[in-house]
Amino acid sequence: MTDTKFDYYAQKKHAHDHGDHDHAADAHAAIEEPREGPPSEFEIMSRAMQELLEAKGVITAEQVRARMEQFEEDLPYRGSRVVARAWVDPDFKQRLLADGKAACTEFGIDLEADRLIAVENTPEVHNVIVCTLCSCYPRSLLGMPPTWYKSRNYRSRVVFEPRAVLREFGTVLPDNVTVRVHDSNADMRYVVIPMRPAGTEGWDEEKLAELLTRDTLVGVTTPGVAR
Amino acid sequence: MTAPPLNKGPHDVGGEAADAVDTLDHGMAFWEKQANGLRSVLSARRITRTDELRRAAEDLGDRYSQLAYFERTTMALRTVLLEKGLITEVELKAKMDEIRARFNVPDEMESPLIQAAQK
Repeated sequence: MTDTKFDYYAQKKHAHDHGDHDHAADAHAAIEEPREGPPSEFEIMSRAMQELLEAKGVITAEQVRARMEQFEEDLPYRGSRVVARAWVDPDFKQRLLADGKAACTEFGIDLEADRLIAVENTPEVHNVIVCTLCSCYPRSLLGMPPTWYKSRNYRSRVVFEPRAVLREFGTVLPDNVTVRVHDSNADMRYVVIPMRPAGTEGWDEEKLAELLTRDTLVGVTTPGVAR
Repeated sequence: MTAPPLNKGPHDVGGEAADAVDTLDHGMAFWEKQANGLRSVLSARRITRTDELRRAAEDLGDRYSQLAYFERTTMALRTVLLEKGLITEVELKAKMDEIRARFNVPDEMESPLIQAAQK
């Protein structure tokens, strides 16, 4: 039996049965969005597979809920902390460039793939990440990839017309800057170390991390500070 | 332009012409977050592997481009769980019927999913 506190269907059923919308008042159960219409065949299939695996003792609902929570609340904020450290600590940056996966363990981060390759932007070189075959992405640093990263248009085009794609993100690079596009795979993930913008001298890691948005770490935008 | 290899899969889109990128992140529906959580737990517990799920998605052929991302991954997970004998088609159909009944969702016979499952 699943824990109704965390089970979407049980919650909906509860709300329906009781004619109210007073879901469990638990902040940890907050991963919920209003829906429109009945569940699709795919949603029903996914839920059915989960319930079958729970009934067989392969997994528990609690494990799935914990992962969902981690994807919401923890993973998306890790990459910016790691790269902010690289900005302030040259020794750490060297370790991150030498072996990204090993460097991440200093933050207690166990990377999901065999390798993490950190690529550094310089005045001469700008790096962009893609997964042309699907959606490989440094999830333990950035959480789930955004919609566009998984889109056919991005996957198809960024490898042969990166400047045009970057312009669609509002990023215009000087012609003398080399653009390198890195194609990820299941065993090998990339993260971009952007250039630290001028005007951030003396900033602490926490403040710097706020500049390091997901898009800057994928390389479709560059961090900047308002002047 | 050289001709693409004959064995090029539906997923292998790098280098193809395509439209402008929609640069907005549309986020994930709740069921997609749950499906992702399920997949992630199975992967972390080494019950399924990234490569076998990827292969199952790539085997979708023409349907690959017709399905949304989490629809593809759900179909791929179904394939792998059935292959591994972790669930059976009979069990899955029964459970889906049960969930449909729970939510009062009609069993639409024209559903492409059901037709695919019956093939």
